[in-house]
Amino acid sequence: MSTAIEINGLTKVYGELTAVDHVSYNIQEGEIFGLLGPNGCGKTTTILMLLGLIIPTEGTAIVNGADIVKDPIGARRSVGLLTDNVGLYENLTAKQNLAFFAELSDLKATEASARVDKLLALVGLSEKQNVKVSTMSRGMRQRLGVAQSLVRDPKIMVLDEPTLGIDPEGTKELRGIIKMLSREQGKTIIFTSHLLNEVNRLCDRVAIMKTGKVIAIGTIPELRKQINAAEGDEFEEVFLRYQGVV
Amino acid sequence: MAGIMTIAKKELLDIFSERKFLLIFGTLLIVVLVSTFQGAISYSSSQSTTGMQIRGNMTQLGGSGRAIVIGSAEGLSNTLSSMVTNFSLVGGVLALAISFDTINGERQTGSMKTLLSYPIYRDKIIYGKYLGGLIVVTIVSAITFLAGIGIFVGFSGLPMTGDTVMRLGLFFLISLVYMAIFLGVGLLLSIVMPQPSTSLLASMIVWLASIRLIPNIGYAIAQIMYPVRMTFSGNTSGFSTPQGFDSIRTVISALSPSTTYEQIVNNILTTSRLQFSSGNIATVSISLEQTLQTSAPYIIYFAGLLIAIFAAAYFVFMRQEIR
Repeated sequence: MSTAIEINGLTKVYGELTAVDHVSYNIQEGEIFGLLGPNGCGKTTTILMLLGLIIPTEGTAIVNGADIVKDPIGARRSVGLLTDNVGLYENLTAKQNLAFFAELSDLKATEASARVDKLLALVGLSEKQNVKVSTMSRGMRQRLGVAQSLVRDPKIMVLDEPTLGIDPEGTKELRGIIKMLSREQGKTIIFTSHLLNEVNRLCDRVAIMKTGKVIAIGTIPELRKQINAAEGDEFEEVFLRYQGVV
Repeated sequence: MAGIMTIAKKELLDIFSERKFLLIFGTLLIVVLVSTFQGAISYSSSQSTTGMQIRGNMTQLGGSGRAIVIGSAEGLSNTLSSMVTNFSLVGGVLALAISFDTINGERQTGSMKTLLSYPIYRDKIIYGKYLGGLIVVTIVSAITFLAGIGIFVGFSGLPMTGDTVMRLGLFFLISLVYMAIFLGVGLLLSIVMPQPSTSLLASMIVWLASIRLIPNIGYAIAQIMYPVRMTFSGNTSGFSTPQGFDSIRTVISALSPSTTYEQIVNNILTTSRLQFSSGNIATVSISLEQTLQTSAPYIIYFAGLLIAIFAAAYFVFMRQEIR
C-alpha cells in the first residue's frame, strides 16, 4: 500500500491562535482515515490546508504527489470535498449542480453527461434529478453532496461531517456508500464526524486532535490499548479520556 | 477561459431563477416603459409648435427654416430625461441586487469551499462571476432599451436618422457601464462584508449616497465655499453665482456614479442648444463629435471608476483566506 497523503509539520497560526500545531502523519491509499476532535481543534483547518485553500504558516503536505504549497491546483485535482453544509447551489437542480461541477472538472460534454447520470444513480437520486436543491431534504442533499465530491473521480475524498443532521436511515445509507467507495473503488477517504459510533464502524485508522495537535493516532484497537481501555468501554469513553474530559 | 465561461453560465442560471431578480427587472421595465411613453406623447405634441416658433425666429433672422434640426435635438434629451432618471434609479438597484451576495452568499451556504476545492484558479471565479452579472445586465438593458425606444419611436414619430441611432447606441453603452459600476460595487461589498445582510445594507447606503447624498453634499460644500447671494439692481433682483460654485459642485457630484451617468447621457442626447444671437434666439446643432469631445472627460472618469472598483474587488478576493 503506498502513501496517498504525507503531512510534514503542518502548522497554521492566526494571530495569537495556533489552529494547527506541527501536525505530521501519513494516510495510506484506500484507507478510511478518521479525523476526530472537539469543535475548533483544527480538523477543518487541516483539511482546507490539504486542499490548498489555506496557506500553511509552516510545514507542508504532499497530496497524491503534489505539494500543497507549491502546487495547490495539482493537489486539488485528486481530491473531492464534501463539506459539513454540503455546499451546493440552492437555486439549481440536482442535475444542474452536478453538470456545473463536471464542466469545471474539464470533462467533455458526453463524458460529463454520462458521469452525472451514473452518479445520480449511485446515490439514488435519478428520479430527483430535476428537483431544486432548496426543496430537498437534508439526507438527499448529503447524498447529492457525495455525488458532487465524486464528479471528477478523485483518488482521495474528504468528507467533513458528512452525517451531520441526517436521520439514522440516511446515516446508514451514507455509510454504505462510503464503504463501497473505499472497498470497491479503492478511494482514500478522510472522514470527520462527531458521531463516534460511525467512526468506530467505518474507519481503518483514526487521528485524535486537541487544540491543534494530534494527540493520538492508530487503529481503534491500538488507541484503546494505548489508554488501557476496558473491553466493555464505548469508543466515546475512550475518546473523552484522550481529551482529558473523563 | 473555459472555467470563466462555466462559472458565468452558472451565474446566469442562478440569477434568472431568483425571484428578487424578476421582481426588480419587472419594476425597471414598467417604470422605463411608462416614462418613455409619457415622454413620447409630450414630444409628439410639442413637436409642431416648437418647430414653428423656431422656424419663425430664423425667418426673421433671414435664415432658412430647413436648416434647423429641432426634432431630434432638445426633444430627444428632454423627452428621454425621465427614462434616464428612472434607469439611473432602478438600474442601479437591479445591479446591486444581483451582486450584493455574490461571494458572501456562497461563503454562507458553503458552496464557495466546494467551488474552490476544484482545480480552478481563484481569478477565474471572480472573472466568471462578474461576467455572469454583466451578461445579465446586458440582457436586461437590451430588453428595456429596445422596448423603451420602440415605444418612444412608435408614439412620437421621431425619424431614426444615423445620428439618432448613434446617440441612442451610446446611451445604451453608457447605461451598461453604469450598471457594471454598481455590479462591481455589489461584488466588492460581498467580498468585504462577511454577511449578505450587511452587504445588502451597505449596498443600499451606497445607492442612496449616489442618488442623493453626494449631490447634496456637493451643493452644500459649494455653498459654504462660494455662497450664492441675492443681488438687487434697480427694480430687479436675482441670484449671483460665483465662478467657483459650479466647479466645486460638479467635482463633488462627479463622485456619484448616478450624477455622472445622467450628465454623460444628457450630453449625448442633446443634439442642439438655443443660442442668443443679435437679440434673437437661434438653435445651434451639436455634432456627435462635439458631444463626444464634451463628454470625454466624464466617460474616461466613468471607465476609470469601473476599473478601480473591479480591481479593488479582485485584489481583496485574491488575498482572502477561506475559513
